[in-house]
Amino acid sequence: MEQRLDLMKGSSEPLLLCLIGQQPMYGYQIIKDLEKKSQGYFKFKEGTLYPALHRLEKAGLVTGKWEMLPSGRQRRYYYITDKGDKLLALKRSQWQNFLNAMNLIIQPATPLVEG
Amino acid sequence: MIAVLNQYLDDIRDNLKLELADENDVIGELKSHIEDEFQEMRDAGLSEEEAANTCIKFLGSAKLVARQIYETHGQGTWRQALLASMPHLLFALLFTLNWWQGVGWLTVTLGLILAMAFYGWVHGRPEWLFPWRGYCFLPVLVAGALLLYLPRGWSWVAIIIYLPLVCGLVWSVTVRTVKRDWLYSALMMLPVPIIIGWFLVAGEEGEFSKISLEYVRYCAHGIGLSFGALAATTIAFIRLRQRWMRLVLLFLSGELTLVMVAFYSNGRLSLPVFLLLTLLMLGLLLSPALVKRRIRRGRQPVSP
Repeated sequence: MEQRLDLMKGSSEPLLLCLIGQQPMYGYQIIKDLEKKSQGYFKFKEGTLYPALHRLEKAGLVTGKWEMLPSGRQRRYYYITDKGDKLLALKRSQWQNFLNAMNLIIQPATPLVEG
Repeated sequence: MIAVLNQYLDDIRDNLKLELADENDVIGELKSHIEDEFQEMRDAGLSEEEAANTCIKFLGSAKLVARQIYETHGQGTWRQALLASMPHLLFALLFTLNWWQGVGWLTVTLGLILAMAFYGWVHGRPEWLFPWRGYCFLPVLVAGALLLYLPRGWSWVAIIIYLPLVCGLVWSVTVRTVKRDWLYSALMMLPVPIIIGWFLVAGEEGEFSKISLEYVRYCAHGIGLSFGALAATTIAFIRLRQRWMRLVLLFLSGELTLVMVAFYSNGRLSLPVFLLLTLLMLGLLLSPALVKRRIRRGRQPVSP
């Protein structure tokens, strides 16, 4: 679990951006969606979610809007901004390059066939 | 919502120390999160108590959540920092450009301070308001100094009436400010020992009642510089995120500014008086924390 958290450090904000980029979401929905899509691998510590969302909002990458539900309750939905979209595209390409490079190194070496 | 969850949200609110609008947004959002989670757990068959305790466990310590959110929001913008430093900058200009001798400039400065303090008060008491608020005590201080010029007997009678009124006023404003954030009260208090230091330097034989205008003229640049230092401190304070760094900044900067006063005093500020001013500064910077603690204790229910 500790190793999993280490790998997640620094990745939480791109993950949030990615989810909000797919559709506007509210905090609790983000936690559930992240867990479901990663098949339980990513479990966001709930107390750290809102500071992370507010950091993204302060940086102008997402914007929060209160919306009224038919039940009369209010929820704060987060929408990705143009700036957030651009950063997300950049992060995606960085991740892809990183994964390709990691795969090249980490894959078990194929035995040489003597001909 | 059940009591334990309301208490949890109250604990977060107590530790947030944000502007009212931000505070309401944060609490509203957390409340909505807790309601969703609580309902899901109730649907899964948990009792109310179990569901509430699990929600709190998942969110984590109220203090930690509040601190993390504070660090996100607590850092003011450059605009807020500049607005907060403005009263110090105004006084720095007054003395550096020798405008302090003109009644017109003094009136404009005092009028602006009162107007900004009133504007901030009716517009959600933002963070930049606190230094302006501190300067609102200046007319009260000037009125007190003028009492010293009354005929001797009358002067004592007036001071006996004046002092409890001023103490009451300072207490009332401090309590209101402390409720928002005691660190901002400390920021508000920071100029007090420095202003007293300058009064002592400018007073003949260290007396308030015998201010030597000639000496004020002589020290004007030093006075301007010390207000400039206060402005720089305020900007750095608003831009810092961590609370402990803000407190350290207030101590260091306050002490350095007092050293500056002593340097420009040409020996008129003796070492014991300098040490007394340092103690006064320490007291003023820490007393808001004690007041806050007392208020919080007063609110806690007494156990049988």
